[in-house]
Amino acid sequence: MNIFRKKMKKKQRNKWVIIIVVVVILWLLGNFFVGIIKLFLFAGEIDVAGNIAVIHIKGIILTSKDPRFFYEESTISSDVVKFIERAEKNPAVKAILFEINSPGGSAVASDEIGSAIKKTKKFTVSVIRDTGASGAYWIASATDLIIANKMSITGSIGVISSYLEFSGLLDKYGVEYQRLVSGKYKDIASPFRNMTAEEERIFQKNLDTIRDYFIEEVAKNRNMSKSKVRQFSEGLFYIGSEAKELGLIDVLGNKDDAVKIIEDKFNITADLVEYKEKKTFMDIISDVFSRQSFRVGQGIGSSLFRESLVNDLSIYT
Amino acid sequence: MRLNLPKKKSFVGNASLVKRIIAFIVDILILNIFVLGPFRKIFINVIPSNNFREAYDFLINNRLETNAIQLSVVFIAILFILYFSVLELKTKQTVGKIIMNIYVESKKKELRYWQCIVRSLFLLPFFPFILLWIIDPVYLFFNKDNQRLTEYLSRTKVIEKFKYV
Repeated sequence: MNIFRKKMKKKQRNKWVIIIVVVVILWLLGNFFVGIIKLFLFAGEIDVAGNIAVIHIKGIILTSKDPRFFYEESTISSDVVKFIERAEKNPAVKAILFEINSPGGSAVASDEIGSAIKKTKKFTVSVIRDTGASGAYWIASATDLIIANKMSITGSIGVISSYLEFSGLLDKYGVEYQRLVSGKYKDIASPFRNMTAEEERIFQKNLDTIRDYFIEEVAKNRNMSKSKVRQFSEGLFYIGSEAKELGLIDVLGNKDDAVKIIEDKFNITADLVEYKEKKTFMDIISDVFSRQSFRVGQGIGSSLFRESLVNDLSIYT
Repeated sequence: MRLNLPKKKSFVGNASLVKRIIAFIVDILILNIFVLGPFRKIFINVIPSNNFREAYDFLINNRLETNAIQLSVVFIAILFILYFSVLELKTKQTVGKIIMNIYVESKKKELRYWQCIVRSLFLLPFFPFILLWIIDPVYLFFNKDNQRLTEYLSRTKVIEKFKYV
């Protein structure tokens, strides 16, 4: 009888051991599956909990990744537009807060983001931190409210497309530029020869046209006349307190002030969620290898790299 | 000759419906903690609103989130099936069944794994298995052995050991 009881108890104990093992394995599998979903499915996407979407605009504003700015922080316009669209579709998001710390960038990229901001029906606020100038100001002007620190750098409404011209240097070393073009303006702004007066006029006209678009956008966004905006669009930057007097920004303050304004406006308790590109495990690994390879390449090819910079012509606001 | 037979006698009968329901509830609670727990983060982060209408509209317009929810549901169903099938195969009981002292038994010979899997098919969250959510329990009322439809198909039943002196 005792042997029978002992056997039953042992059997019962084994049963519980099996149950515990199975439950633990299922729990581990559950975490594993969640990890797979997050790693591969949500790579590059965002969590949607939260009622204030925070989108960062940092560094140079570009339409696509540029190898010349490999180590500089940059904001890609298509990513920001994607985040704005996702915030727009999310019914829990009441407002979009743009945290701006950028000296500007591509005119096209700035316009793309500005247009996306104007399309959204959500309340938009931009908070300028150190710098929100040029293209970054173009973006900020599209929001419903601009907040900046009294010492933030903003403004710089204008267009730049300067480049280095090496014809004198080439002459010094007896290097000749062999001009072979079909179309007389094909090599306009080539760094290997002087720009002619006519070419300079054409170029300047294009820059002025882009500046006019910039002025038009700011005037529309800030509800000012074009003539008034033109007064402070000689490319000059303004600190926050000056910008407020000129009507370029609305409130002097910081991110906490922006959050408070949104809370009061919608009678909510702020729950901020950052909308940003999430890196997958594979992205992190390839980033590490890319940066290491870049360091090696930079050491070997630094002179070639500097020379290649001046060959391209770009227009920046 | 002393045979050392147990003093208490027992006989086997169909487990009562009440015990089976309680056992199932206990198992679901266990699974809720250990299996659903890790997935809760995904549901909270992916579904933006507690309001059904808003959440529905959001999911309709966001394919990625919908895919994540669907994938999560499939994984959860797989884990649920593993819980029931592995434990019933190895021990003939789950946690709930141990508490209620009921067992799974095969009508033919030894309990096999395919039988345990078929018994748990009602847990799959897609067509045509979701039809079992209604057909399976309703069939129970028309079966003399109190078998669900999937139990009938897998040739298993849930029994209770009654003890008396």
